[in-house]
Amino acid sequence: MKYFDVIVIGAGHAGCEAAFAASRMGCQVGLCTLSEGTVAHMPCNPAVGGTAKGHLVREIDALGGLMGQAIDETGIQFKLLNRSRGPAVWSPRAQADKNRYGTWVKAVLDREPGITWIFGKAGCVVVEGGVVTGLAMEDGDRISCSALVVTTGTFLNGLIHIGPEQQSAGRVGEPASHDLAKSLKELGFEQGRLKTGTPPRLDRRTIDFSRLSAQLGDEAPVPFSFLTDRIDREQIICHLVYTNSRVRELVVRNIKKSPLFNGQIKGIGPRYCPSLEDKIVRFPNREKHQIFLEPEGRDVDEIYMNGYSMSLPREVQRTLVRVLPGLEDAEMIRPGYAVEYDFIQPVELSRTLETKRVERLFFGGQINGTSGYEEAAAQGLIAGINAALKVKKCEGLILGREEAYIGILVDDLITKGCLEPYRMFTSRAEHRLLLRIDNADLRLTPKGRTIGLVTDARWERFEARQTRFGKNLQTLSRTMVRLSSGEHVSACQALRRPEIRLEELVLKGDTNLEISQESRELDLISLETEVKYEGYLRRQRKEVERARREERRLIPKRFRFDVIPGLSREVVERLSHIRPATLGQALRVPGVTPAAIAVISAYLDRPVGEEHLGRGQTWSKDHNLQI
Amino acid sequence: MQAEAVGDLINAVTPLQARAAFDQLEGTVSTAIKEIDDAIFELVAQLEASLDFPDEGYHFLEAESVTEQIGQIVDRVKKVMGEARRGRLIREGIQIAILGKPNVGKSTIFNHLVGSDRAIVTPTAGTTRDLLTELTDIEGIPVTLVDTAGIQDTTDVVEAEGVIRARGAANIADLVLLVLDCSKPLDSEDRLLITETETSQRLLVVNKIDLPVRWTLGALGSSSEQTLIQVSMKTFEGLDRLTQGLKGILGAGEQLRDPAAVTNIRHIELLQRVLAALVRATRASAKSVPEEFVLADLQLARVALGEITGQRTSEDLLHHIFQQFCIGK
Repeated sequence: MKYFDVIVIGAGHAGCEAAFAASRMGCQVGLCTLSEGTVAHMPCNPAVGGTAKGHLVREIDALGGLMGQAIDETGIQFKLLNRSRGPAVWSPRAQADKNRYGTWVKAVLDREPGITWIFGKAGCVVVEGGVVTGLAMEDGDRISCSALVVTTGTFLNGLIHIGPEQQSAGRVGEPASHDLAKSLKELGFEQGRLKTGTPPRLDRRTIDFSRLSAQLGDEAPVPFSFLTDRIDREQIICHLVYTNSRVRELVVRNIKKSPLFNGQIKGIGPRYCPSLEDKIVRFPNREKHQIFLEPEGRDVDEIYMNGYSMSLPREVQRTLVRVLPGLEDAEMIRPGYAVEYDFIQPVELSRTLETKRVERLFFGGQINGTSGYEEAAAQGLIAGINAALKVKKCEGLILGREEAYIGILVDDLITKGCLEPYRMFTSRAEHRLLLRIDNADLRLTPKGRTIGLVTDARWERFEARQTRFGKNLQTLSRTMVRLSSGEHVSACQALRRPEIRLEELVLKGDTNLEISQESRELDLISLETEVKYEGYLRRQRKEVERARREERRLIPKRFRFDVIPGLSREVVERLSHIRPATLGQALRVPGVTPAAIAVISAYLDRPVGEEHLGRGQTWSKDHNLQI
Repeated sequence: MQAEAVGDLINAVTPLQARAAFDQLEGTVSTAIKEIDDAIFELVAQLEASLDFPDEGYHFLEAESVTEQIGQIVDRVKKVMGEARRGRLIREGIQIAILGKPNVGKSTIFNHLVGSDRAIVTPTAGTTRDLLTELTDIEGIPVTLVDTAGIQDTTDVVEAEGVIRARGAANIADLVLLVLDCSKPLDSEDRLLITETETSQRLLVVNKIDLPVRWTLGALGSSSEQTLIQVSMKTFEGLDRLTQGLKGILGAGEQLRDPAAVTNIRHIELLQRVLAALVRATRASAKSVPEEFVLADLQLARVALGEITGQRTSEDLLHHIFQQFCIGK
C-alpha cells in the first residue's frame, strides 16, 4: 500500500498551504484533489487581502507560507486599505489574476520534492482505535498515512442553487463529496450547514466602461510578502457602479423566486457578505448599493460583479445586470449562485486544529465554517504545520491571540464554534495595536524558523531587519533634533508629537538611521509606530501580560466540570462540550461568567497535600481534580 | 450589579441607607451607567465599522464629532460620579469632631446630638480627656460623633495627649464643629483654632448666648461669613438651627429625594477608570491621533463598564454593526 507521512485532501488555499508546509518541514505529502485545473482556485472574489485579511496574509508569509508571495507574483491591482488611518489597521488588498494565481501555486507545489499529487476523489477516512491510519479513495484505492488534513471547503454535500435549479456540486462544474461527508458523519463529528454565494460574471467586451467610475490601484503597490522588494507590474482598472430603483423593484417583484427567501435554502449565510436579495429586503431605505466590476485576470474577459451575489433564476439575473448603467448590453458569462454545504463545528478541534475525536486527523479552511481564502490559508498552514509536527513527534504550534490574527482565528473557532460563516475583522483583536502588518515578521518569523518552515534566505533577511530595528530605536533615543519652535528634544520626543513624521526627520537629515532600501517603508513605519505610540503599546503589552496569566493556567484534558460545586448546569454543559485548554479560553466560552471562572480557578489552584491522598496512592493531576 | 445592590440593602444601617440601596436595586444607578455603556458601545461600533469596512460607501463618523461625543460621555460619567460622594456618605456615614477650648460646652452638644448623657459633663474644665465616639443618625445619614478634650496649653501629660488626639480627630473628620464661648473674651487659643480649622469643612457653634455676651460676631473677622450658629445649650435656644445647619452641610434636606447615588465603592473605582480612559480618548481624538488608538482607550472604558453591566463581546459589536449598516459585498 502507498504511504505518505501526511495526506491532504483538497488543494484549495488551505490544502496548498498545508501540503507546502508539511513538505518543507520534511514530510512526504500526498496532495489529493479532483483536477489539476482548480489548484488554489478562486471560485469567488478574484482578490486577496482586505481589512484583517491582509493581516492574515502577512502572518502566513512571516511564518513561511505561500499566499503572500503568490499574490505579489500574480496580483494585477494593489491597494493599501485604511491608509488615512493608523498603522494598526492598514491592510493590503489586491486583485488577483485568477488563473495565473492558481498556476503559480501549482508550479511551486510541483517543484516541492516532498509533494505527490493524488488526482481523484477522496472517499473514506480510515480510523483504527481512534487514530487515523489512511484514506480510502472513492475508486477503492487505499493509501496509508501518519496524519490526515481535510481541507475540502464547500464540497461536503455541496448543493448549488440558481433560482429553482439545484445541482449537487462543491463548486460549479465540480462534483460534491458525499462519501467523505458520510465518513466524517460516521466518525461522530458535529456538523452544521452554511450557505454562501457568488455574483454573475460578465463579458468585458460587452460593457460600456466609459459610463462607469474608474477605480485605480495605488501608485506604489505595497507588497504582501516580506520577501518582495517591490511590485512594478502595470495595474488594471476596476470600475464602480451603483444599484438603482429598477434593481430594487426587480428584486422585490421576484423575491419569491429566490431560494434564499422561499425556503429552498436552509443553510445560514454570512451577514457581512449579504446577497443582493438580503440587501434589498433588509435595508429597504438604502437608496443605492455599490458594485465593483473586477477583472478576473489581465487577459481574460470575465468580470466579477463584487457586491452583486444572488441566487435568483438566470433570466432574472440577466435583467438585473442590464438595468445597470453601462451594462445595458452586457452578456452574462455565468450566473451567480448560492451554495449550501456541510461544515464541521470547529469546537471539535483543539488548538492545533487536530480533532479531539480522532487523533492525527486535522481540519482546516472553509470546512471549519470560515469564509475567505485568507482565513482558509491561515488554517491550512496551521493544520499542515501541526500535522508535520505530529509526525515528527514534536510539540504542536499554537499561536496566542496576542501574537497573531491567526491565533485569534483558531481560538475563536474552537472556543465559540460557528453560527454563520466566520470572517476575520480587526475588531476581533483585543490587542490590535500590537498585531500590525508591519511587525508580522517580528512577531512570527522566529516561530516559523524554529519549526523549519522559514528558509535561510528569509531568515537572513529577517535577522538583518531585526538588527536594524533594534539599532535604529537606540539611535532615535540618542539623537537630538531641533523643532520648528527652536526647542531641542530627542528624536523620540519629537516623534511623539502627532504632526511630526519619521520620514521628514530622515529626509531633513536629522537622524542617521540604518535603512535598507528594499524595505525602507517597512523599516520606517515599524520604527515610527514603536516610538510615536509607545504609551499605547506599553499599555497593551501590560494587558497582554495580564491575559497571559490566565492563558498559562492549563485545564487538564479530563478535568471534570460537573463535580465542581456552584457551577450552573448550563456552564458545566458548555465547558464540558468545548473542553477549553486554558482558563483564559474557558472565560471566552460564550455564557461562561467571570464568577464561574473564579470557582474553577480555585479548583485548579487547590494545593495537593499528601493528606488528601490515600497511602500508597500516587498523585496524578487528573485524579486530584476529579474531586 | 443586582446582587451587589442586594448586599448593600442587607448591610444598610440607617433607613436612608436602606433607601439608597433600594434605589440602586431599583436600577436608577444601573440605568445611568447602562446609558453611558450604551453610548460608548454605539460610538465604538461606529468607529469599528469605519475601520473594518472602509470601502462600503458609508461615512460613519466625522473626526470632530468623535471628540464631541466622547466629551459628552465624559460629562455624563462625571455627573454620575458627582452623585457618588453623597452616595458614599449615605453608605459609610461621616465623622463629625467637636472641637474647642475647655469648658465651652462640647460634651453638652455631643450628648444632645447623641440623645443621651454619654459624656460626663461638669463645670470643671478638662473633664473630657480622651476621644469619645458615638454612632448616631442625623436625618438618615449615619454619623460618627467625636467629642474631644478641650484644647489648651497644658503641662498635664494625660491632658496634653488628649489635646493631640483632639487635633488629630479634627484633621480626619469630614466635619468639624468648632465650639466658641461668647460669655468669655475671644482669646489667642480660640483664634488659633479658627485658623487651624479654616481649610476643613466646619460649622462654628457660638454657645452660651444666655449669658452676657463678651464679644460680637464682628470679632471673628472674615471667618464670620462662614456658617455660624448661635446656641444656648442651657436654655436650648437655637438647637433647631444647629440641627438645620448640620442637615444643610450633610446634603440632607431637599437632596434627600435625589435617588441616583453610586454607593458602591467598587463602582466608583470602575467609574474612575472609565473616566481616565475617556479623558485620554478625548485628548487623543482632539489631536487627531488615529482611530484605532482612540478606540484602545474606549475599549478599556467598555471593559471597565462591562464589569458593572456585563461584558459585551466583539461578536455583539459586529452584530450591532451588521444590523445597522448594509455592509459587505
